[in-house]
Amino acid sequence: MTIIARRLAGHLARGLVMILVVATISFFIVNNIPGDPMAARYEKLIEQGMSPEAAAQGVKVLYGFLPTGTLWEQYTDYMSGLVRLDLGVSVSRPGTPVLDVLGEATKWTVLPVLAGTLLSFLVGIVLGVYAAIKRTGKLGDALAISGSLLHGIPQYVLAMLLVVIFATLIPILPADGPVDILFEPGFNAGYIGSLVEHAVLPVATYALSAYGGWILAMKSSVVTVLGDDFILAAELRGMKRSIIFRYIARNAILPLFTILALSLGLLLGGAVFIEKIFNYPGLGLLLINSINDRDYALMGGAFLLITVAVIVANIVADLFYTVIDPRVRSGEEAR
Amino acid sequence: MPHPASSQAPGVRIDGLTVVYKTPAGELPAVRDVSLTLEPGTITGIVGESGSGKSTLALSLLNAVQPPGRIAAGSVEIDGLGDVVGLSGERLRKARGAHIGYVFQAAQNSLNPLKTVGKQLLDLGRSHGVDDLRGLVREARELLGRMGLDGARVLDSHQHELSGGMRQRVGIMLALVLNAHVVVLDEPTTALDMITQANILKIVREVHAERGLTTLVITHDIGVVAEVADRLAVMYGGRLVEQGPTREVLGAPRHPYTRGLIQAIPRLVGDIDEARALPGRPPTLATVPTAGCVFRERCALRMDVCETDDPAAVAHGTRIVACHAVKVREHA
Repeated sequence: MTIIARRLAGHLARGLVMILVVATISFFIVNNIPGDPMAARYEKLIEQGMSPEAAAQGVKVLYGFLPTGTLWEQYTDYMSGLVRLDLGVSVSRPGTPVLDVLGEATKWTVLPVLAGTLLSFLVGIVLGVYAAIKRTGKLGDALAISGSLLHGIPQYVLAMLLVVIFATLIPILPADGPVDILFEPGFNAGYIGSLVEHAVLPVATYALSAYGGWILAMKSSVVTVLGDDFILAAELRGMKRSIIFRYIARNAILPLFTILALSLGLLLGGAVFIEKIFNYPGLGLLLINSINDRDYALMGGAFLLITVAVIVANIVADLFYTVIDPRVRSGEEAR
Repeated sequence: MPHPASSQAPGVRIDGLTVVYKTPAGELPAVRDVSLTLEPGTITGIVGESGSGKSTLALSLLNAVQPPGRIAAGSVEIDGLGDVVGLSGERLRKARGAHIGYVFQAAQNSLNPLKTVGKQLLDLGRSHGVDDLRGLVREARELLGRMGLDGARVLDSHQHELSGGMRQRVGIMLALVLNAHVVVLDEPTTALDMITQANILKIVREVHAERGLTTLVITHDIGVVAEVADRLAVMYGGRLVEQGPTREVLGAPRHPYTRGLIQAIPRLVGDIDEARALPGRPPTLATVPTAGCVFRERCALRMDVCETDDPAAVAHGTRIVACHAVKVREHA
């Protein structure tokens, strides 16, 4: 276990450095984007006939502060805030801390994307094994073609297609929004039912668009393992088919865990199109809105959150490998 | 567990075996009309170049020719098991491992990289309905110890923690642990260094004698055969061209191909130029002649009859040779 602890410590240290670097870069990039909402507000108040002092006071009342420091002072201020998990205050929603806004949006993104990714992973893996074993037959061809096709269709086209079919032509599912406002939020059947109903199409879009990648990756991985000598060796030793099947599955699924971990890391930022189309108040939609509103603090916070998610996913993937793959484990342990 | 005496070692009779592979040009034979008898308790060596069909022949002993190949004709009779070619399904699976052990080339990864040797041993035991798994582990540990390894440690290791020589010994252990008495070794020493090679060959010889096995060694290295085999069979283009007691064949080769092979070996002493390479290339599945002698393209003793007639394997005492030129000389 000490190897895992040592690895974890190393990863955390590296992850922390990466987070700081990304925070720095995104701070300066965001700072260099043209346009300044406070200046815009200030000028608008001047146009309305206010005196410069009154206009400045008006801006300060709205946002709670006035930008005065140099770029360097702003940077150190931002970074020291980061350490205390203080990401600043949203500009487009005056008075609301960025962290709260992000937390609210994350809730709406994580569950549907997680459900969609895991669903597509499970279905894609199982069908990928079949596509590999039956690769010379019609079933294998059909599965591989379905994979390529769905992999090739862009997410937003798929999303609109689903809306057209299931919300317009056969109106059985709601077209957009996270939940019906008719229901009292809480743990009651009506509210939860409405949540699920609204989540079906977004989840289906995630699942369908990711499924193609999984089935193709799993198929090629299984085909590679099938050609490995140890599978023939197991057969020649008279091993049971069920045991050989487990050997194949476990070896073939190994490289896919990397992709799974990475796509779970990207799930926070990867839902931009789908959330826009389904008007789902998650992180993707928040990111679009924050850019439109020139809400720098929120933008920076969203970027940072996505970065942290990817880094954490990488660390989890790596530690997971030390558990499931003995070759990785003994890299530091052997003799 | 007491091992049966060598008198109980099973005999193996390969008769008229033909194995074909499906190619775009139709089904082509990789092994054609091969007959070979493995006497009980002997080590037989099969020598041949890459593509001569020796590995295909080895797999046929377990009825395990991989698609697109298939056994088109012939039989492989093993004492106590019957004709392996006729076996299928569960009966074939149980025969593999329990009656016939197969040892892979050391360089090939014949172990699941994610599981320890011990766990794979248990999988093997469960596959063959072994009730006494503790006994199986004990037997494996003894076998490994017999081959100079620390059995407990090896069983606790993954493939990547073992050296080539250790892996090869694990392969031999897995082939023997279920008490198989026919053992096929496919290139047992290829990709091992000289010292490990000598070691493995010594182990093969000793274990063969101790456990009373009937052993088939496939190799491209005449030195390996000279070291371990009682009988030697030479393969070329899917045909057995010559077979006989190892010493006799190596001492007085009759088939021009066997002679060429032996002449091609450089000696430690003497002029390096004394070793003469065989001219030409070995045939591939697509270029092997369908009529006449398979070796005639490279043969110095080529005659007209070689173009049209496939030379029959003719027994001369303990030797069997398939060559028109040899027949002519014998009768002259």
